[in-house]
Amino acid sequence: MGEILLENGAEISRVEDTLVWTGKAYGAKQVDAFVITSIIILSIEFADPRNPELELEALTGTRRIYSSTGTYFHKIEEINSLSRKICSERIYLHEFRSSLNEIAAMTKNDNLVTFGGVIAAGSFAVFFGGSLNDGVVASLFAVMITALQNKLGHTQVNTSASNLLISLITGLCVGFLGKVFTVLHVDKILIGDIMLLVPGLAMTNSVRNILVGNTISGIIRLIESFIWALALAGGIMTAMIIVETVIRP
Amino acid sequence: MTREIILQLLTAFTGSFGFALSFGIRTAHSLYAAFGGFLSWAVYLTVHGLSNNEFLACLAASIIAMTYSEIMARLRKSPATVFIIIAIIPLVPGGSLYYAMSNAVMGNSEMAEFYANQTLIWVLAISAGISFVTAIHELRSRK
Repeated sequence: MGEILLENGAEISRVEDTLVWTGKAYGAKQVDAFVITSIIILSIEFADPRNPELELEALTGTRRIYSSTGTYFHKIEEINSLSRKICSERIYLHEFRSSLNEIAAMTKNDNLVTFGGVIAAGSFAVFFGGSLNDGVVASLFAVMITALQNKLGHTQVNTSASNLLISLITGLCVGFLGKVFTVLHVDKILIGDIMLLVPGLAMTNSVRNILVGNTISGIIRLIESFIWALALAGGIMTAMIIVETVIRP
Repeated sequence: MTREIILQLLTAFTGSFGFALSFGIRTAHSLYAAFGGFLSWAVYLTVHGLSNNEFLACLAASIIAMTYSEIMARLRKSPATVFIIIAIIPLVPGGSLYYAMSNAVMGNSEMAEFYANQTLIWVLAISAGISFVTAIHELRSRK
């Protein structure tokens, strides 16, 4: 449950709170959850039902979290309503388990993701002052970017490497295109496409984590997102330098 | 000028909607989330027009956006994160980040520094605004 939340872009405090509430709802005496971006440690103590005065039985589990690149808000929303339901009414354990499995099995609609990326990139190219042509070109490259993100996401390449690669390829393509069709504004197109790769979610979540007291996770994620942004910058910069040096003569 | 403003507001809405789709938000909520993006940019433009101060405008926009998200979270029974991430997307400083990089590559270190500073100011303003509302919200719910 925590794994689903963490992998799909929830804040740390939400993950911890959800785990504790769920444990308490199923009769645990004491639930301790410790969550950072890469690991979940959960310890639950149950009282012996026949002899409640006797010592508590404790169970501890650890779960290593590897990737948190796939943001899928629908899952967070579903988990949220599931945990609300557990707290307000009684749900049998097998029912809980089956609805959890259902949520885990949900997959994002790839076409919708691409469509969203196309709209977003096109809109932001125009938003930052580009012409309609720039918007259309940015949208076209958004198709390529979402496809690449999808491919690389499946192969477990880490986010910095994939950001570097994607921004390098995009920068090269847009740069050369801009040299051929001089009406296009390369900067506006790239800004529109960069918006798809900028770790806005990670940065905001990390600052929120820090301010509600989850300093460790917040700092880990903040540094991570800076590195992602640097990788992005590095890719685009390299592409621009290559384009400039190739075209100059 | 007016045409530019209308175009910006329109693209802020459609851009946020695009992100709502690609983050896989529940379909029924995507338009509400996108409206958050529209709202935050409208507030930004208004405050910027009045005070001519970017930090203040961005701060005000993120405060309003977070308030809107908390209200929406209550009404639509969904976590506030889902709404705020979409709502602040027009505020994410993609433009100044890009110009900071391109000026650095071209060797205009002064301009690069200017844009890098601007990027930082925006990030700071966004997170300050969000945290401000979150803190108030926490205080109220702890009582």
